[in-house]
Amino acid sequence: MKIKKADWVFVGVALASGAACWTLLGPSGVRAGLRDAGDLLLMILPQLGAGLLIGGLVQQFVDRERVAAMLGQNSGFRGLGLASMAGMLTPGGPFASFPLVYALWVAGADAGALIAFITAWSLIGINRLVIWELPFMGADFALLRFFVSLPLPILAGLIARWLVQATPLKIREAPRS
Amino acid sequence: MTPVALILWGIVTLMAAMVGARKGTAGLRGAGVFAWGQASSLAIRLPMALLAASFLTQILPTDMVADVLGPETGLWGIVLASVVGGLLPGGPMLSFPLALVIWQSGAGEAQTVALLAGWSVFAMHRMLAFEAPMMGWRFVALRLLSSCALPVLAGLLAASVLGLFEILFL
Repeated sequence: MKIKKADWVFVGVALASGAACWTLLGPSGVRAGLRDAGDLLLMILPQLGAGLLIGGLVQQFVDRERVAAMLGQNSGFRGLGLASMAGMLTPGGPFASFPLVYALWVAGADAGALIAFITAWSLIGINRLVIWELPFMGADFALLRFFVSLPLPILAGLIARWLVQATPLKIREAPRS
Repeated sequence: MTPVALILWGIVTLMAAMVGARKGTAGLRGAGVFAWGQASSLAIRLPMALLAASFLTQILPTDMVADVLGPETGLWGIVLASVVGGLLPGGPMLSFPLALVIWQSGAGEAQTVALLAGWSVFAMHRMLAFEAPMMGWRFVALRLLSSCALPVLAGLLAASVLGLFEILFL
């Protein structure tokens, strides 16, 4: 396995916070931190493993080209709804979702649909809910946050379309594929 | 294994059967490669992020949290939580443990909803590393303008849902 630059940032942050903990609280503080981290890791690993596999399996059902065809400028409310749904179902981190946003943009999706997509992916993404929020925050909290956030990506898309029409704020031309 | 984990592994089994039936072993292998790629990128970051979050938990002034983000702080607590959420560093492996600590230290449920929504919408590292380079700054500006009110809205909606539950069940 290759160790990337970003990994060293995480190692550095962990070491720095550990050092701060040692300075302020001494060895007992560091011990408590290590124990908490171990407990958290054991708690989330079974769910994290399942979540990653679900993400991979969902990818096998997503047909990117067909999705892009349905999200153009004149797709109306339905396009925003579809974009939200697609964002909600898109698994993986930003390294997986932004290439898809870019592909949708090139394929003719408008700013409103793209913003609905990103907002849905980050705010109500099922993958993130399953992998991170359920294990850490519990089902009650996760469901409350999910349901109150459900209409918000469409709202963001509507605001974006309005801003594009009513103000000089425009996004750049989509690059040719 | 917790009940949630068991349900999730049940879903994995079911979906694997569906993918296997539709796309055969090639589909299953593709899914495995995607999952493994993500897992190997987490192998170092996740333990390190959990360590950092746990160390920070030990030294953060958590007794302040209830005062500024508690359930009684209302709208201003929700607004503050949205801003704090936007400042949370890093990906989900760091911000969810931190959000859990903030919640357990006395933040209200609605305020914690706003905090996580703020982190989702504003995530600085994602904007700098992916969004701006791929989509351009004008797109980033348009998206921020379109969604800057959402975390506060999520917090207010959560507060009213919780209030409704109290009226109905207490």
